[in-house]
Amino acid sequence: MRRGLISWSRDEVPTSVLDRRVARFQEKIQAAKLDAVLVYTSFARPSAVAWLTHFVPYWNEALLVVQPGGAPVLLAAFSKRVHDWIRSVSHLGEVRSAPDLGRAAVNFLEERLPKASSIGVLELGALPWSVAEPIVKSRYGPALVDATGLYAAIRQPADEVEIRLARRAVTIAVQAFEKIPTSATRASELLSALERSARLDGAEEVLPRVAPDLRADATLCRLEGDALLGERYAVELSIAYKATWVRFTRCIATQAVPPSWRSAADRFVETVERLNEANLSLEPGKNAAWTLETCRGSPPLSIVATGETPPPSALPGGSLACLSLQLALDDGPWLRGEPLILGSRGQPSRLLI
Amino acid sequence: MSAIPGNPRAERRARLATAMADEGIDILVVAGNPWRSDYLRFAADITPVEGHAFAFIGRDGSARVIVEHPAEAARLRSEQTELDVRWSLSAIEETAIAIRELGRRRIALAPLAAVPYRLAMGPLVASIAQATALLDRLMLRKSPSEIDAIRRAAVLADQGYAVFRDAARVGRPEYALVAEVEAFLRSRGCPENFQILGSGGREVRGMHPPSERRLAPGDLVTTELTPCVDGYYAQICRTLVLGEPSTAQERAFAVYNEALEAGIAAVRPGASAGDVARAQNEVFRDHGLGDYVTSEYTRVRGHGLGLYVDGRPAVLEDVDLNLEPDMTLVVHPNTYHPEVGYFVHGDSVRVVPDGCEVLTRTPRRLFSVPTA
Repeated sequence: MRRGLISWSRDEVPTSVLDRRVARFQEKIQAAKLDAVLVYTSFARPSAVAWLTHFVPYWNEALLVVQPGGAPVLLAAFSKRVHDWIRSVSHLGEVRSAPDLGRAAVNFLEERLPKASSIGVLELGALPWSVAEPIVKSRYGPALVDATGLYAAIRQPADEVEIRLARRAVTIAVQAFEKIPTSATRASELLSALERSARLDGAEEVLPRVAPDLRADATLCRLEGDALLGERYAVELSIAYKATWVRFTRCIATQAVPPSWRSAADRFVETVERLNEANLSLEPGKNAAWTLETCRGSPPLSIVATGETPPPSALPGGSLACLSLQLALDDGPWLRGEPLILGSRGQPSRLLI
Repeated sequence: MSAIPGNPRAERRARLATAMADEGIDILVVAGNPWRSDYLRFAADITPVEGHAFAFIGRDGSARVIVEHPAEAARLRSEQTELDVRWSLSAIEETAIAIRELGRRRIALAPLAAVPYRLAMGPLVASIAQATALLDRLMLRKSPSEIDAIRRAAVLADQGYAVFRDAARVGRPEYALVAEVEAFLRSRGCPENFQILGSGGREVRGMHPPSERRLAPGDLVTTELTPCVDGYYAQICRTLVLGEPSTAQERAFAVYNEALEAGIAAVRPGASAGDVARAQNEVFRDHGLGDYVTSEYTRVRGHGLGLYVDGRPAVLEDVDLNLEPDMTLVVHPNTYHPEVGYFVHGDSVRVVPDGCEVLTRTPRRLFSVPTA
């Protein structure tokens, strides 16, 4: 569950920016002749609602109703007492109590859109059945259409506000890595140091994965319990700051940094520079595995392209993305991941920091 | 409850296989995601960190999993080498295809809270309610190894609260307290914790994720701290004062403590969740605070604990689910008090044949933290 700092600074994310995002979405809604679009949010899928309104559910679920005009309305399965908090951290029209989210959506549509003929749902196929069933069984069931493409069309490239938040998130990650004790022998020691640093720096969420002994296995694990650290290990931090997620991965050597890692780091940078909106099929060299991810729906990060699944989907220059690369070097595996701004056609991508 | 003590994965799988056989289910398809990972953890012993995940559980004990991300697939293979794990950018569609390929076998889909629309619109929609109920029943009463995990989580809850208390100092922002608790829990190998808090006085109506508000002298600082061990949650709720408690704060504490004790005394096999709620609420009514046990001021008087942080049963007066041995729950008369603001007080318990065993051990006190 989300348990780091959740707050809204109007300096960091001005209301005008949120209004502009909603207005762009509403233009698409109007063009598609939809009467409304429902956007689901939960701990697992918070990003679309957060991008439009700055609301992040620390637990529980909600549905955002975006109509062709007017401020979005949040139907929230939270207790009514939490509404003041919701309003304090987000930019919304009305907030309604909705313990039964699907039923509340039907009631809302009947009240506001009795003659609605077309209701869009972001990622309709993924909507939880507990929420979808009452809507499907209502007279709006036949009116449901998937609105995923409408939203994805406006989601990237990233605006300056989002890039600043991402830069802050990656700075939190870098500073957290600096707090790893050089004497750490167990994963619990480094995870404790990372969590403390990142959360004291204002991270909204920290999801670490660790490969505790790179010589034995490069798989990044979600540890329950503890593990001994090898001489070489890797850590991936997925960090959210004000609902903006980045992934940051580094290998750590407790002895001298192997020379092979320096040339691998150069390859990473060269790979980033070759990447642009017209070239998402990376060729970082032999024995490489990679993923390029971005946010363009409700999941914090979704895959755009990987080394295993061509062809990649399109992503415009200026998009905020995260590249994760794993190389099988002669002296063992090596991992790196960082956020970047995707280059336009013919232009190199830029690492965020 | 189990013939395979000490191995929660095998224990749960055996119970599930028996239940599937009883209900004539050959394959159970269990959906999950990072928000609702509890059913997947029960059925396949996996906890998704990102994206959708679907487990195909055979009555013969076989299991295969479809996830959305290659890193998730690699992780799950590493955690359970015997597990057949695939990944697909269209995990939902892949799952629909895999279900079709199962042919005429008896297949069920669960749970209601995580099955996506795309799968529910297929031929298995009628199975969702029954299969969800099957899993809910199995997850209600805990096996010895499940109890052991909750017991260990309760120890962490107590230790985590001590860290929270030490971190609560005038001038510190709320989020710094959570940072200290999270760092502690990580140092103990605990990957997950649900925690909300509140700070201030009469204006505080509930708890929330930590904000930038800095603690001030005289504040009541509340928290609900819920660490997770091997997937199982235990919860503690306590309230502290920055400085010496006022008479009103002491008086309020006495009411909440009386209510908590009454609630815990009501936990026994055969009592309903409603009885436990009523026992707590009667104390408030007796003190003229009956308005504050309504939904205007509070949500529940406790809830089940297990693989989900807010499980069944909800402890509310109108919930008639009867308690049975080895159910686990938190009893918490948390609500607003008109004189001092939002106040929390709660302990995790396990139902035993003659009553209940209290799992959290932190003293039931209104803690006072020095302001200097």
